[in-house]
Amino acid sequence: MTIREQVARTVERGTNGDDSPVDVGLTLLAAAIAAVLVLPLSWLVVDAAGLGSRALELTVDSQTVEVLLRSVALVAVVTGASVVIGVPLAVLTVQGEIPFPRFWTVLAALPLAVPSYLGAFAFVSAFGPQGELADLLAPLGIDSIPSVYGFAGAAFVLTLYTYPYVFLTTRAALLSFDGSLVEAARTLNTGRWEAFRRVTLPQILPGITAGALLVALYALADFGTPNIMRVEVFTQFIYARYNAFARDYAALLSLQLLTVTAIILAIESRIGVDESGAYESGGHRGSVDLELGAWRYPALLLPTVVSVLALALPIAIFGMWLFSGGPGYQVGRLTFEWEYGLNSAYVALLAAGASILVALPIAIASATADSRLAALADRAPYVGYATPGIVLAIALLSFSLDVIPAIYKTVPLLVFAYVVRFMPQAIGSIRTSTLQVDRQLLEAARTLGRSRLSTFRAVTLPLILPGVAAGAALVFLTTMKELPATLMLRPLGFETLVTYIWRVEETGLYGQAAVPALVLIVVSGLSMAVMLAQEGR
Amino acid sequence: MNGDSGERAVTRRNALRIGSALGVTSLAGCLGFFNDDQDVEIPSLSEFRGSGTLVEGRPAPGGTSIEELPDLSGDLALYIGGGEGGIYYEFVEMLQNIYPDFTVHPNDNDSASLAQTIVEEVDAGAAQADVFWSIDASSLGFVADNDAYEPLSDAAVDPVANDQFVGSDEAWAGVAGRARSVPYNIDQLSGSDVPSTVMEFPSTDALQGTMGWAPTYGAFKSFVTAMRLIEGDEATRTWLVDMRDAGTERRGNEYAVSQAVANGSLAAGFANHYYAMRVKNQQPDAPIDLAFTESDAGALINVAGALKVKGTQRGELVDDFVRHLLSSEAQEYFATISFAYPMIEGVAPVGGLPTIDELSPPDIDLAELSNLEPTLDLMDDAGVSG
Repeated sequence: MTIREQVARTVERGTNGDDSPVDVGLTLLAAAIAAVLVLPLSWLVVDAAGLGSRALELTVDSQTVEVLLRSVALVAVVTGASVVIGVPLAVLTVQGEIPFPRFWTVLAALPLAVPSYLGAFAFVSAFGPQGELADLLAPLGIDSIPSVYGFAGAAFVLTLYTYPYVFLTTRAALLSFDGSLVEAARTLNTGRWEAFRRVTLPQILPGITAGALLVALYALADFGTPNIMRVEVFTQFIYARYNAFARDYAALLSLQLLTVTAIILAIESRIGVDESGAYESGGHRGSVDLELGAWRYPALLLPTVVSVLALALPIAIFGMWLFSGGPGYQVGRLTFEWEYGLNSAYVALLAAGASILVALPIAIASATADSRLAALADRAPYVGYATPGIVLAIALLSFSLDVIPAIYKTVPLLVFAYVVRFMPQAIGSIRTSTLQVDRQLLEAARTLGRSRLSTFRAVTLPLILPGVAAGAALVFLTTMKELPATLMLRPLGFETLVTYIWRVEETGLYGQAAVPALVLIVVSGLSMAVMLAQEGR
Repeated sequence: MNGDSGERAVTRRNALRIGSALGVTSLAGCLGFFNDDQDVEIPSLSEFRGSGTLVEGRPAPGGTSIEELPDLSGDLALYIGGGEGGIYYEFVEMLQNIYPDFTVHPNDNDSASLAQTIVEEVDAGAAQADVFWSIDASSLGFVADNDAYEPLSDAAVDPVANDQFVGSDEAWAGVAGRARSVPYNIDQLSGSDVPSTVMEFPSTDALQGTMGWAPTYGAFKSFVTAMRLIEGDEATRTWLVDMRDAGTERRGNEYAVSQAVANGSLAAGFANHYYAMRVKNQQPDAPIDLAFTESDAGALINVAGALKVKGTQRGELVDDFVRHLLSSEAQEYFATISFAYPMIEGVAPVGGLPTIDELSPPDIDLAELSNLEPTLDLMDDAGVSG
């Protein structure tokens, strides 16, 4: 489920000799869909152009430059820290002879599914000025604790929830790597560390880098954490400018953010193409073992500490609120309604359905047709996937106001945003299952006189159904957790689990968010289960 | 989709129904059923009152009680500009508790930003809000000047005692007022030490090196804007520079200014009147009192108010909602919770404040206060950045 796999997917296309009208039609349809998905983003340029000559002034304005530098710094710190945590964890779970390796692997990967804003929310409410810790210490006469807000706090939280990217890609590289090389090095009397540095590391470096770039993308695009932690990076600053009605400035900043995103994607596709410079021998697992001996158990401290912080702490905090009501001063009472959960499920269902409808032609065209247009159409939706949610939301708001006021802040617009953002997940899983359909089956069906459509219905569809279902499930679950687009595009009065949590966080009535937060944690767990099930197939 | 009463235009106001088709947000309200079947229960007056020494022993408020007003029912899309840290919304929640069939869909943000949003949305034909309840008249004036309002009914604006606090063409009605004031420490100064115009402050010996202000605060910027309008840019810049040279200290907000005056670290300052009230309500013996200047920027009275957004299909509900904001209970609420100046006759301001009639605010159009850009430039120029 990595962008790299998708964006940098080059050419394992099943070729299809006859360019029948259906193929052309399919390709054109896919291209049209892709164009519609990418169109609103162009509106940012229209908005930013409204600044005229001030655009350049603002670009080099000290505040803008500061935001850019701070964003890059945050990305760098989070990426570095993710490598420091993710790589040892991968080595430990793959090569270390630890008990229950499967359990530790899942545990180490799990934070990936939890939206980081939940973590940020939990940490702020635990260690913030009005938080649990402050409440505990107050009677002891300690009335100020180091602030959780700011750069360090945001970097800490983001790292906790993004390191699994590095963990998973490194793990994949380790699994496909030939252990006999290390053995050879060891017989030549190289020390263990030396062997790791000179043999293992170069081989798994592409994997580490791929994960690191995904972390960078996530850290750059994340909206919730910087806003909750009050760090003026791109996403936070854009949101603040937009709310202060500096819309064209927000558009300009959005374009800058997109540029930085594009640079990261470009680096990624470079690396992605040449990934297996290593000599592979079908994963000689077990031949390489980190003989930890007595260190085996202390080594487990790392995954334990990480998962306690990333998983147990938020769950404990939310669980505690459930029973105690949590801290927070009474201003207005924001009472939780189950209707918010229904609203979440409703738009997620619409998004999943629409995503499948849109993804099917694109996925099938890209898996069967061999043309540049199909390749382009296949690639375009990923632009949406890599586009930070806040940027997409601002583009859609502006586009709808200027062009189609009837859909401004309506459920259809919101669902459109979800489709743009998450449909690539559906394309990925449908495409994979389409590629696995044996073409001889289709040919057999055609020889028996079935039309193309009927062949698709009778043969292809049943075969790719699991992929379609998995794709729909992923879109559904990811939509449930989506924050920025939901926050900005929802109709007035249309409250979802996520927007409710957001409002609670803003007003400081933390305890109110226990139920929706726990529901989202469960949703996160489910989405992880879907991903793992897909990997297992 | 149930809840579709046949209007086809999908504005956000209608889109509320799309959301409500799933939940149970007062479908009855959408269709206008059961208007008179509500189980309306109005809490006792004490529920609408704040607590503290300033509030105790107040007489019952005059004016029109909620009991005498038409029931509220249905959905109302409300933009809250400012909102005083949730105080406005808390009152809205009370109304929703009184009327089970009344549901408010709020969106809160900075008042100036929401005003611009409303104008933008109305211009695009995608208006979202039915009513705009904002903390300052300048944002209401901005919406009115851009023709994005509809006049309120006579019944809605009638309770406002002072015509100055109703927009022209009845575009908006004042709900609660706040006056610029000079909090001073009674141990260090006497009321007669405070000149009757702010222009005299820099040259007043008693005030040298003892004053405080909070230039980042919105109300302070409105005050400087008013001074620009009354005295001109040059005189305003000079005044800012002179005050700075006289050793006026910066504080983060006007509550901090008022607290510093109360604890003696400042002798006097510039602040909205209610911050001193807040201090006094917590510490009844605090040596702090308020002086008011006359007919100048320092005597500016700004109001929070409500405006009907152009194109709303719930005009009558908006009028009734505004009447509720001007009911005796609501006015008592704003007077005792946020220590604002009530807008109706029969409700007195707390803590022995002079009534609005006794104050002499400058004669300017409050809507003009929305032009902040030149003010910010001028403040930067003078080295008093906001």
